Amino acid sequence: MKRASTYLLAFIAGAAGVIVLLSYFLDLPYLSDISQWLKQTAVLLSAAALLIGLLNLVGVHLGKIGGQEKGWAYSALLVVMLAVTFTLGMLFGLDNRAVVSLFRYVQLPVEATLIALLAVSLTAAGYRLIARRPNLFNIAFMVSAVVFILGSAPWLILPGLAEPFGILRTWLAEVWAVGGARGLLLGVALGSITAGLRVLLATDRPYGD
Amino acid sequence: MTVLGGLGLFLVLIFVFLMIALALVERRWPARFRSIPAFDALGGATERAVEAGERVHFSLGTGTLLGSETGPALAGLSMLTRVAEAATMSDRPPVVTAADGALVILAQDTIRSAYRRVRAADRYHASSGRLVGATPLSYAAGVPAVLNDEDASVHLMLGRFGVEGALVADAGQRKQTFTLGGTQDIQSQALLYATVENPLIGEDVFAGGAYLNAGSMHRGSLRTQDLVRVLIVAGVLIGTLLKTFGVIP
Repeated sequence: MKRASTYLLAFIAGAAGVIVLLSYFLDLPYLSDISQWLKQTAVLLSAAALLIGLLNLVGVHLGKIGGQEKGWAYSALLVVMLAVTFTLGMLFGLDNRAVVSLFRYVQLPVEATLIALLAVSLTAAGYRLIARRPNLFNIAFMVSAVVFILGSAPWLILPGLAEPFGILRTWLAEVWAVGGARGLLLGVALGSITAGLRVLLATDRPYGD
Repeated sequence: MTVLGGLGLFLVLIFVFLMIALALVERRWPARFRSIPAFDALGGATERAVEAGERVHFSLGTGTLLGSETGPALAGLSMLTRVAEAATMSDRPPVVTAADGALVILAQDTIRSAYRRVRAADRYHASSGRLVGATPLSYAAGVPAVLNDEDASVHLMLGRFGVEGALVADAGQRKQTFTLGGTQDIQSQALLYATVENPLIGEDVFAGGAYLNAGSMHRGSLRTQDLVRVLIVAGVLIGTLLKTFGVIP
């Protein structure tokens, strides 16, 4: 019975994938309609999955609060704020002043702070990279990063150095970086194709056995 | 059917043929792949975590299952299958986090299947797959708490990451976990190269299944990628030469 359900799931997933894939290559009206319907269904299911994900999030944090686990107070705060935002959004709509204020004065400043932290994190990561693996590639990586910063930032002292560093930065970006990026993109594209085809062929079954 | 459509379909069929043929060849004449230090170190790190009763944290990134981010998400789920199987000996199953509900459900299914295969379904818990935040930065803010609260000593990142990937990686570095990460976005790869202890570059992101022995199809896929890449590079070089010497306008 379990084996039959595995085959059925694999067949449904494979068939849906093949129909959508073929609709990109074959100009058949009914195929295009079915493909469109499948894609719309996927979007709807994805939205439903987000709701299930939110329930999962609440469940995990309620479990932590109930068990008084490490950091339960943060979990309580998360659940309360989620409930408040969700309720306000459902009752008054997303354009409501209170909902907009929550985003503007809570979410946005917190996210902006995280982005600011990124600069500190990356500086520390650069130091750790050289300390941990001081090889040719990492030194080249760090030197390039420094040249990019010097070539992009305004030179308040020694403004004459802005032009040579700008030229060096452009040369690195437009020759070396673009060449390398194309090679990497080629590998990523080929990898994406084989990963997708393995799901269509049901050798990879992320939907479970 | 247009010419481009026909060509696209032909290429897909060539891919499928090569993947199946090379998977069959692989069973008789297994390929030897170059060493990727990140994958070489992963097995040992997972074993140490299992023995120490610590958890493996697997981040599927901040992408969704729809659109161009599907590739790395599928690669992440493939690798999760192998990692989950390796960690089934532990009392504490791996914890998987994502910023997309559909990915969380698939991650839960993947872990549940791994536990079923070793007849340890009773040890599976639904909280193994978690939505941490629905936006990239809220996800990045939530991951450090998961690493700390769940006592994770292995921090794997495979999926779509933007700039927030550096924060997610940094959380693992600060906790001194074994950190491995890869993504499809070129700029984010550069960030992960600097912040992750064991970075995956370019197509390495998609090689997890082949390197972790997920089956001959994964190894066949990797050989197909290599073969097609050689053909494309040869085509580009021949085209460049022909253009340089004026053979083609």
